[in-house]
Amino acid sequence: MSHVTGTSVHVETGHGHGPPPRARHWALRAGWVRAAWMTGFFFLLGLGIVVFFRWLGGYDPTLDWEPVIVVAGLTMAPLGFLAGLGGFDYWVSYALGSPTRPEDHSGHGAYTWRDYFRVNTDHKVIGIQYVSSTVFFFLAGGLMAMLVRAELARPETEFFDTQTYNELFSVHASLMIFLFIIPAFAGLANYVLPLMIGAPDMAFPRLNALSFWLLPIAGIMLLASFFFPGVGAGWTNYPPLSTEQPFGNVFFSMAVQWAGASSIMTALNFLVTIITMRAPGMTFWRMPLLVWANFTTSLLVVIATPFIAGSQFFVMFDKVMHTNFFDPGENGYALGYQHIFWFYSHPAVYIMMLPGFGIASEVISTFSRKPIFGYRLMALSLMAILVLGFSVWAHHMFVSGMATYLRVPMMVTTLLIAIPTGIKVFSWLATLWEGRLHFSAPMLWALGFVSMFVIGGLSGVMLGAVPIDIHVSDTYFIVAHIHYVLLGGSLFTIFAGIYYWFPKMTGRMYNERLAKIHFWLTLVSFNATFFPMHLIGVQGMPRRVATYEPQFGDWNLFISLSSFVLGASFMIFVYNVIVSWKSGPPAPANPWRGMTIEWLVSSPPPVFNFDEVPQVVGNPYEYGVKGARHAILNGDRAAAELEPVRST
Amino acid sequence: MATHAEAAEHHHGPPVANQSSRVDSRVLGMFLFIASEVMLFGAFFTAYFFVRVVAGSPWPEPPFHLPVFVAGVNTAILVTSSFTIHWALQSIKRDNRAGLQAGLVLTLALGIVFLLTQVREYSRVGFNPGDGAFGTIFYGLTGLHGAHVFVGLTLLTFASIRAFRGHFSAAHHHGVEIPGIYWHFVDVMWIVVYVTIYIL
Ligand SMILES: [Cu+2]
Repeated sequence: MSHVTGTSVHVETGHGHGPPPRARHWALRAGWVRAAWMTGFFFLLGLGIVVFFRWLGGYDPTLDWEPVIVVAGLTMAPLGFLAGLGGFDYWVSYALGSPTRPEDHSGHGAYTWRDYFRVNTDHKVIGIQYVSSTVFFFLAGGLMAMLVRAELARPETEFFDTQTYNELFSVHASLMIFLFIIPAFAGLANYVLPLMIGAPDMAFPRLNALSFWLLPIAGIMLLASFFFPGVGAGWTNYPPLSTEQPFGNVFFSMAVQWAGASSIMTALNFLVTIITMRAPGMTFWRMPLLVWANFTTSLLVVIATPFIAGSQFFVMFDKVMHTNFFDPGENGYALGYQHIFWFYSHPAVYIMMLPGFGIASEVISTFSRKPIFGYRLMALSLMAILVLGFSVWAHHMFVSGMATYLRVPMMVTTLLIAIPTGIKVFSWLATLWEGRLHFSAPMLWALGFVSMFVIGGLSGVMLGAVPIDIHVSDTYFIVAHIHYVLLGGSLFTIFAGIYYWFPKMTGRMYNERLAKIHFWLTLVSFNATFFPMHLIGVQGMPRRVATYEPQFGDWNLFISLSSFVLGASFMIFVYNVIVSWKSGPPAPANPWRGMTIEWLVSSPPPVFNFDEVPQVVGNPYEYGVKGARHAILNGDRAAAELEPVRST
Repeated sequence: MATHAEAAEHHHGPPVANQSSRVDSRVLGMFLFIASEVMLFGAFFTAYFFVRVVAGSPWPEPPFHLPVFVAGVNTAILVTSSFTIHWALQSIKRDNRAGLQAGLVLTLALGIVFLLTQVREYSRVGFNPGDGAFGTIFYGLTGLHGAHVFVGLTLLTFASIRAFRGHFSAAHHHGVEIPGIYWHFVDVMWIVVYVTIYIL
């Protein structure tokens, strides 16, 4: 932006902004010390704001802890943390009209482990920050699942009172959805997407850094909710159940705001990056399917996420400010919440699935040594899912008491989505057909995904049919379905992606044997855990209840034991990753003989990705096609011009 | 990539990215952000729809009245500010710094008058957010919009500071143009809020 020299004589103004960072006192320098005191300072500021306005309005008591926690604790303090860490430094100095500091790239790249704990503008560092912290929240959410299963091993209450049980499964779901699946995909894409399209970084690197640092805030809020009980209405947080929860329910509402803001900012960044920063020759029809997948996902995020933000504002206002969005006694409309919530949360199912489709396409094509079957149809079916995904939300509300005439249209659109999804499944199968299959760990996870996702998709079609849905609503059949889709679907592709790009991200190979053991143990224990839930669900075992009829006892004991094996299987992954990252054998630039651009640079890639932006000359998946190339890097050009280059 | 360490020595920055679209990335980013904001308003309007159309809440709920005339004057003020920001942008495009500064200051003043009028309206309107779903929706939508005016004013304040400190020129004026786009959005959104809440 505007570079001003000559006229500007402004130097250091002393606090919170201004170049250069090294000259500052240690307590004023961007970092954890400043983050600590600014968190406290902003909390006090928030406290002052609340007290001032309550005094102004003549409310009694002037110091009320509930608004203080919402405004000072859950809004201002996190802002202070971000400001202290340095998330806003550049913008503050820009806004105050200081001369634009020439970019010295001091915030770029990671040279020691400390560089992962600061505001870093390198998309590769941010990608690793994302993936590592989401794995942390995955383990935390997984631990809660273990506690839930421990409670459910016997029909009576064993370990927890019912409110604590409700909070365990609610926070489990919230962590897995908002702090694991959605941001884990964002993290993987953050790392590889700019490389794949031949961009030196994301379009807005500082915004990218900020969107990462919003995540730990949201995660800590959800974890802290155990000290402020109230997140016990499920991740769906329906009123009036949620508005009648204890005060701590606001921790869910606010965590969703922070995580949602993070995902909107990232999505916006992906969209602008994909539209404006593709390498020469990289037309939309030459983009790898992972890029297509994140393009459609980001559109979904930008359009849909504000709806869950709205829905959680309404619940919080009804709770804290005693408004009447959902109070029927005051002309409010409780069912409206479900419409608004699912208008986000059904598309969110695709936000949690489409990036996984992209990863599966990359992996399956590379390990089958064949071009992806029906590339254009794969991309178009993503767009079809995007459009159809907005027309089906009320299939979550068949038994809610909504207008009955909405049922059949929503059923029809729901079943229609099986068509683009089916196109994708058949395209993967056709890609595998007569391919030279290599069953490395990423491929195993991708194949596991296709098979598990088909099971989840079939139960989804069953649930889309109104009569079946009415019968199994709020039973374990739903729990089975969602876990086949989100665990067998999203989680499996996340692991496919992590193993696939692990050599690229860390520069080291993981232990293939352990990765395979991890896969098979997860696959078997996952099915042992969740398949029986279909059966007890059809027999009528209700979900979200700490106790159940003794007739379901045997199955539940079996499910709980299997789930502990499932939980343990992830320890293999954690061990493998930590040990391989420290001392695995060095990875070559292209261990899988992939064609997309991220494999043309070293592992890990140079700090600025490329010395020169690559030239794209062909399709991304021309495996086994003689002489075909996707892209050429500097120095290669003369050689490439001699070879016959296939293009469409 | 044996030459990487060596290359890093010579290169002190990333390669220049290929510009694969005619659209400026910052302008595109602002439009996408506005799309997201429109959907946030959409969530509030959906809640309004459910309260008024589906639940059939009377509008305005007796015995309350909405100050249609005062809000109408306020609408005129905000619409005028859209023209002044446009004037500011056109001025700097012709390298007219005085016009830029005057346009920004006028816009800021009009925006502040709008907000103050709204605060005054809140204190005199005679009901609060807890008075039925009617009060909730009224304060919800006008409050959401007011928050956006506040954000817009903050952005314009930054642009003004920079304008007075000698930034921006005929060649570089994204720092005025982008907050300006946001300001137009805030303006258009108000017209929708005014028509649906006060008039219909
Ligand atoms: Cu759905």
